[in-house]
Amino acid sequence: MGVDLSIEVFGIQFKNPIVLASGPAGFGFELQPYLDFSKVGAITLKTITVKAREGNPPPRLVDAYGGIINSIGLQNPGIKGFITEIVPELNKLNTIKIGSIAGFSLEEWQLLVEEMDKIKEIPLIELNLSCPNIKGKRRWAEDVKLTQKVVKTARELTNKPIIVKLAPDVTDIIEIAKAAAEAGADGLTIGNGIQAMRINVETGLPVLKLKTGGLGGPAIKPITLARVFKTSEVLDIPIIGIGGIMDWQDALEYAMAGASLLGIGTAVMVDPQSPTTILSGIEAFLKRKKIKRFRDIIGIAHRGGFSVS
Amino acid sequence: MIEAELKKKRISGDYGFFIFKLQEKIENPDAGQFVMLKAPDEPILAKPFSIYSYKNRELVLFIKRVGRLTGRIFSSPIGEIFYVRGPHGNPYISSIDLTKRYILVGGGSGISPLNFFSELHPELTYTKLYGFKEAHIRKLFNENEQKHLVIEEESGHTVVDALNELISEEVGIIACGPIPMLKNLPKNAYVSLEAVMGCGVGTCKSCALKTIEGVKLVCKDGPLFRKEEITWEWI
Repeated sequence: MGVDLSIEVFGIQFKNPIVLASGPAGFGFELQPYLDFSKVGAITLKTITVKAREGNPPPRLVDAYGGIINSIGLQNPGIKGFITEIVPELNKLNTIKIGSIAGFSLEEWQLLVEEMDKIKEIPLIELNLSCPNIKGKRRWAEDVKLTQKVVKTARELTNKPIIVKLAPDVTDIIEIAKAAAEAGADGLTIGNGIQAMRINVETGLPVLKLKTGGLGGPAIKPITLARVFKTSEVLDIPIIGIGGIMDWQDALEYAMAGASLLGIGTAVMVDPQSPTTILSGIEAFLKRKKIKRFRDIIGIAHRGGFSVS
Repeated sequence: MIEAELKKKRISGDYGFFIFKLQEKIENPDAGQFVMLKAPDEPILAKPFSIYSYKNRELVLFIKRVGRLTGRIFSSPIGEIFYVRGPHGNPYISSIDLTKRYILVGGGSGISPLNFFSELHPELTYTKLYGFKEAHIRKLFNENEQKHLVIEEESGHTVVDALNELISEEVGIIACGPIPMLKNLPKNAYVSLEAVMGCGVGTCKSCALKTIEGVKLVCKDGPLFRKEEITWEWI
């Protein structure tokens, strides 16, 4: 019995639910020798800003118990560099590309959406409202009104599906998720790194040069998973679940909590082949459970789980 | 990732040689390249280790105990399974002047890639200087290697002092070791850098290095750089 891993969301057919999360996979090219992109549902490209950014000074990464804290700082070639250097190469990756953008003002968001709208290689746009690693900047996703403003602005400028990347560590993610949906978002990504830090006891100083960063990996999975569960309980909008998916069981938990697509970040850094390993695990599980389609298990935790036969 | 079984270890203080037998081979590693090594459980990330020697699926690493992963390797029993992938990074020979011979200057675990270099490219090796603080390190090295050791505790000299006595126009320098040591080298030296890496292949941007040509990555563009191209204040 074959298992149907495909899923249609945002009017787009994904061959499977695995999405490389924005950041750890860069623009994908460096991973090509290790990962068969034709087996990955989609890649969310590294976030693009208006101006090129060199990122934060190192150290930018530190281990934490059960996770890692990073403060890369959106290192990217800027929208112009992206269009001239990266976009012409994107057809080398045989998977769906989700463009990720981050503006520092409403005007910047406008410009980024307009430019992304023109790029035919990119059928979906993710608004990164929640990067925890920008010095001195508040995250847009911490504020209902700001979230709404950005999403509305983007909605007016493009017909491409818009996904809004939310911060998991806000007072009430549901309120912000609702605001994004009302403003015209087609989907949500939940979540992003959770603000965190470590201090070197020998020096008495923060380990990361930026002092704080975003915690990712297994440590945040139960937290983000609960946000996905709670949000999908009240909102009927496709969710990309991200946060600490290291193996197929983690991935399935997100699907069962209500995520349609499953984002993989830290695990790609540990082992570039992990997305295909995770996918095989999901497939084997579905076969064992005699479930024909992956999409049948999405949100099953809200529907009383598997019926006992 | 490839299964790597710990076959042998020889430890003195915080330094040790570790021999891993790999279940599959890694493709023709050259000196300067590194493997990403991961413990089966904690810590989460794989970490980069320069290759000290590699032959017949036998990987030799010379490691200093610094954090959780290295601590784990030191305390692991023989037979423990780790995971590796690689080789990553660029061989030294792809970025150095091949008409020269080189003094290989290592500090601590920085001697690793230099040893591999002298094994694979004896014709490019002028001599080796292996710098350590403590004399107990001698017991880890065989008779042939003893003469290359520069032990601060014994002579009061650092490896850079020893280098300064040997420097000439004709010979180049390749160095790998702690940042203060690298900073004290002459201008024309090639320096092999360590960095905190996430992926080791150029995607995650953790190992950023500021150079005169902008931000580069130690994993993808290095690990070898010319000393004068580096913006040292950023490190």
